[in-house]
Amino acid sequence: MINRSVDALVIGGGSAGLAAALRLREGGASVAVVEREPFLGGILLQCIHSGFGLHEFGEDLTGPEYAERFIRPALAAGIEIYLDATVTEIGEIPAGGEPARAVIALSRRLGVIRFAARAVVLAMGCRERNRGNVAIAGTRPSGVFTAGLAQRLVNIEGYVPGSSAVIIGSGDIGLIMARRLTLVGCEVRAVVEIQTWPSGNARNIAQCLNDYSIPLHLGHVVTRIEGRDRVEAVRVAPLSPGGEAMSEREFRIPCDTVLLSVGLIPENELSRGARVPINEGTGGPWVDADYMTGARGIFACGNVLHVHDLVDFVTEEARLCAERAARFLGGGQAEVTLPVAAGANVRSIVPNACAPGRRTVFTLRSLVVKNDVRLVVKVGEQEVRARRLPHVQPSEMVRFVLDAGEIPAQVGAPVVEVSLR
Amino acid sequence: MAPGASSRELVCIACPIGCRMTVAMDAAGAITVAGNRCARGDAYGREEILSPKRVLTAVVQTDSAQFPCVPVRTDRSIRREKMGQLLGELYRRRVSLPVREGQVLIEDFDGARVVFTRTLPPDEVPAVG
Repeated sequence: MINRSVDALVIGGGSAGLAAALRLREGGASVAVVEREPFLGGILLQCIHSGFGLHEFGEDLTGPEYAERFIRPALAAGIEIYLDATVTEIGEIPAGGEPARAVIALSRRLGVIRFAARAVVLAMGCRERNRGNVAIAGTRPSGVFTAGLAQRLVNIEGYVPGSSAVIIGSGDIGLIMARRLTLVGCEVRAVVEIQTWPSGNARNIAQCLNDYSIPLHLGHVVTRIEGRDRVEAVRVAPLSPGGEAMSEREFRIPCDTVLLSVGLIPENELSRGARVPINEGTGGPWVDADYMTGARGIFACGNVLHVHDLVDFVTEEARLCAERAARFLGGGQAEVTLPVAAGANVRSIVPNACAPGRRTVFTLRSLVVKNDVRLVVKVGEQEVRARRLPHVQPSEMVRFVLDAGEIPAQVGAPVVEVSLR
Repeated sequence: MAPGASSRELVCIACPIGCRMTVAMDAAGAITVAGNRCARGDAYGREEILSPKRVLTAVVQTDSAQFPCVPVRTDRSIRREKMGQLLGELYRRRVSLPVREGQVLIEDFDGARVVFTRTLPPDEVPAVG
């Protein structure tokens, strides 16, 4: 067993982990990154399409290019990097002063590594919801993949999973994969979405489906998957306004492959093991104004905290998180913070507390599809700030910033509530 | 709008905001773009009704068992009708590693360069010691 002692241990070497590690290192901390793949970059490496980096770099980059912009500096920054290594446990070391965290990792090359870290940054990303999460009836043939798995097969392993496909769910990865499969010779016969609006962004509907005349069935459900050894077809039915499948209008689409693009879930098995309290609204940890979870010294950023739409905002959040973690390492004084709550029409909001004395970047998810919306920030009963939003929908994250002093520090009521009206 | 004119509703693909735009052409061939929030949207709207173009990304086979394919892109948009031809060319190739991000694979295709977007094999991480 190897023992290592660092100021900050970052779990995950993808977009969040790399940005957090670099910012912590810039602040002078000793930093280690543990990544379970044999290379850095995370999910960006399989996202070979463009559309990344417009906010961060003012350029239209592919996923691998965006990743390279963080990998190269990380390799040169004096960060300890452990590849092919999996963290199995986050524990606690009782110590004289500030307690440190004991983190156990298993490395293919080095065996068991035991880290003592004064701060831990969770940056494990998210995982895909699968067939079990959405309960699709039918047989259990081969040929059913999550969209991200299919993306890995096509773009990393160089393997095309089938010759004709139906995609269930209209999330961005599913839309991107509709185009990708088409370009590698697998005919995409339909995208089936249970809701009456698409989950993915409008631009991806335009350039991934409309460009290739791929039908999008909104308000439809796959009622069963057919096939014994391999997928042979799916059956699809429109939903009545009451949400019932209208079986008299059911139709059959022959195909040998089904992709599922039905949502992402923050990957928090490790966090739960460390007794980090989880916010059911996001599926990620509750975090305070410092991006610190309910477990002291454990911070979280990126898709493990809440699922983002854009990697640029993952990078921004990871840096903010790292700055607060660096301040924690430096023994910064406690500041006045107010808890933040999701109000009307808001499913979830991050972070879950804010410090009125400094700038806070909030991200939230709407519960509703609505045009011409007022985003209202209330402290107690008093409305302190409002923003106009042209359009909100559940699949598009809303980001807004409150500058230092926008929330009056000496308002009596303790809760900041954000709602959409 | 003048007689003989036409207009199309488009979603801008220049960035993830996805502005809903109306692109109109009058009888004299003058184009107006509305609904865009930036100059890139204006340029996209004009191009889209005259000669639609896209950035093409793909993977190319390698000679490596560990990294069987490497991603590539066109460094600018190419005409949509030329995409099939470029894909055919890319799928016939087999490249030898190592390659570096930004290295050129094809110098000129429809006015664009095709470049690798990932360094393979990845740069070594510094030894921990």
